[in-house]
Amino acid sequence: MSSGLRLDRLAKTFPNGTAALGELSADIEAGAFVSLLGPSGCGKSTVLRLIAGLEEPTRGRVGWPQTRGSLGFIFQEPTLMAWATATNNIALPLELAGMAKSEARERARVALEKVGLAGFADALPRELSGGMRMRVSIARALVADPDVLLMDEPFAALDEFTRGKLNDDLLRLWAERRFTGIFVTHSVFEAVYLSQRILILSGRPGRLVADIENPAPYPREPGYRTSAAFNATARDILDALEDVSTC
Amino acid sequence: MLMRGLRIILPIALFLGLIRFWEWSVVYLEIPPFILPPPSAILAVFATDGASLLGSAWTTLGTTLAAFTLATVSGTALAALFASSRIAEAALSPYAVILQVTPIIAIAPLIIVWVGLDNAWLTVLILAWIAAFFPVLASATAGLKAVDPNLRDLFRLYRADFRQTFIRLMVPSSLPYLLAGIKTAGGLALVGAVVAEFAAASGNTDGLAWRILEAGNRLQIAKMFAALLLLALMGVVLYAILSFVEWLLLHRWHGDRRHA
Ligand SMILES: Nc1ncnc2c1ncn2[C@@H]1O[C@H](COP(=O)(O)OP(=O)(O)OP(=O)(O)O)[C@@H](O)[C@H]1O
Ligand SMILES: [Mg+2]
Repeated sequence: MSSGLRLDRLAKTFPNGTAALGELSADIEAGAFVSLLGPSGCGKSTVLRLIAGLEEPTRGRVGWPQTRGSLGFIFQEPTLMAWATATNNIALPLELAGMAKSEARERARVALEKVGLAGFADALPRELSGGMRMRVSIARALVADPDVLLMDEPFAALDEFTRGKLNDDLLRLWAERRFTGIFVTHSVFEAVYLSQRILILSGRPGRLVADIENPAPYPREPGYRTSAAFNATARDILDALEDVSTC
Repeated sequence: MLMRGLRIILPIALFLGLIRFWEWSVVYLEIPPFILPPPSAILAVFATDGASLLGSAWTTLGTTLAAFTLATVSGTALAALFASSRIAEAALSPYAVILQVTPIIAIAPLIIVWVGLDNAWLTVLILAWIAAFFPVLASATAGLKAVDPNLRDLFRLYRADFRQTFIRLMVPSSLPYLLAGIKTAGGLALVGAVVAEFAAASGNTDGLAWRILEAGNRLQIAKMFAALLLLALMGVVLYAILSFVEWLLLHRWHGDRRHA
C-alpha cells in the first residue's frame, strides 16, 4: 500500500517571523522515493512536519488522494523510549492504535527481525549501539505498514559504514513494502544512492530550485556508488547546488 | 570492589574513632556532663528513658510519614494538573511558590488558630506537609516539562490521546525527576514535623521536639543527645529507603536517558 501526495504552494512562517519555507509545490507519486536536499535551515524538516500534520502551514496545503495516508516518521535521533525494550518501542504505534498487546508485540518482533535485530527483543535502548537504535527506530516507523514514510536525516549521526548498511536495508524494505519515501539529507551521495528523484531547495526561505530525476534502476547494489551513472546524477545535483546560496 | 568496601568501612571506622575520642576528651578535659555528656552517658539514657523516647520518636515518625505521603500524592497530582492545563498552572503556581517561600515557623501561629489548640497533631501534620510538598511539585513539574519533544511529536503523529500520552510518555519520562523530589521531600517532612512540633505543640503532642525542649529545660543534656540521635537515625533510614526505591525503579535505564 502507498499513497501519493501533493504539496500545493506550501509555505510556513513561524510566529517569531522566521520565514522557513517559501512556496513549495511538488507532486509526489505513490510509491516513489524522493529526497529533499538543501542547505541547513532552508526548511527541510519543516516540510516533513507539515506533511505529518505536526505543524500547520501558513499558506498552501498538503493534498492527499482521499484521506491522509498513514504515516511513519524517522527522526534524526532514534527517539526511543529509554524505559522500554526494543520490542515495546516498536509495538508503540500499534498499541496506540488500540491493537491488543500480545499481537502488537508479536508483530514488533517480526519487524525487529526484518531490521536484523532478532536477538535484541528485550534490550533497552541504552544497551544498543547508535546504529542498532536507528534500526529500532526504522522498525517502529514501518511496523504499522505506513503509506508514507518521512525520514529526517535519519543516518546523519552515524559512521559511513553503518550508514551505508542502513541505506541498503532501507532500500530493501522499500522494495518489499513500496511505501512512499520522503528522505531529507545533507548528503548528495546518499540522496543519489537512494532516490528516484531529488528535490533541491534554496536557502531560507526554502524554495524549489531543481527537480532532478535519477533513472538508475533498482535494486541498487553497492557497486552503483562508484558507477558512471551515479557520478552523472551527482554532478547534476552539485551543479544545481552551486547556484543555491547558503542560509 | 575495594573502593566499595572502603566506602562502607571508612565512615564506620571514622565514627568509632570519633566516639572514642569524644569519650576520652570528656573524661580527660573534665567537661561537665551538662555541657557535653560522654557517649556512654547518652547510651545509658536509653536504659532509663528509652520507652518515653521511643514513644516520642514513634509520634514524630508517624507525623513525618503521613506528611510525606500527603506531600507526594498532592504534589504529583498538582503537577499532573499543571501539565494538563496551562490555565491551572498560571492560576495556581504563584500560590504554590508563596506557600514555599513563607517560613513554616511563621505560618504556625495562624494554623494553630485555624485548627485549634486541641488538634495540635493536625497543626503539625499540616505544617510538615507544607514543608515537604513543594519539592515534589517542583520536581514533578520539571520532569513533565522535560519530555523529549521528538517523542511528544511521535505520540501526536500516532494520534495518542491525553491519557495514553500521560501514562506511556509523561509519567515514565518524569519519573527520575519525581523520585529525586520525593527523596528530598522525605527529609523535609521530618524537618518540618520537628520544627512544627517546636512551634506549635509545646506540651500538646509528645513528639521528639517536645522531649528535646523538656530535657533542655531540665539540663538533661544526655537525653537531648539521645533524642537528636534518634532523629538523625530516622532521617538516614528514611533517605536510605527512598534511595533504594529510586534504585529499584530506575537502575535499568537510569543514567543514559539522553542517548535514547
Ligand atoms: N518552531 C520554530 N519556531 C521558530 N522558528 C523555527 C521553528 N522551527 C524551525 N524554525 C526555523 O525555520 C528555519 C527552517 O528550519 P528547518 O528545521 O525546517 O530547517 P532544515 O532545513 O531542516 O535545517 P537542517 O538541515 O539544519 O536540519 C530555520 O531557520 C529555523 O530556525
Ligand atoms: Mg532539519
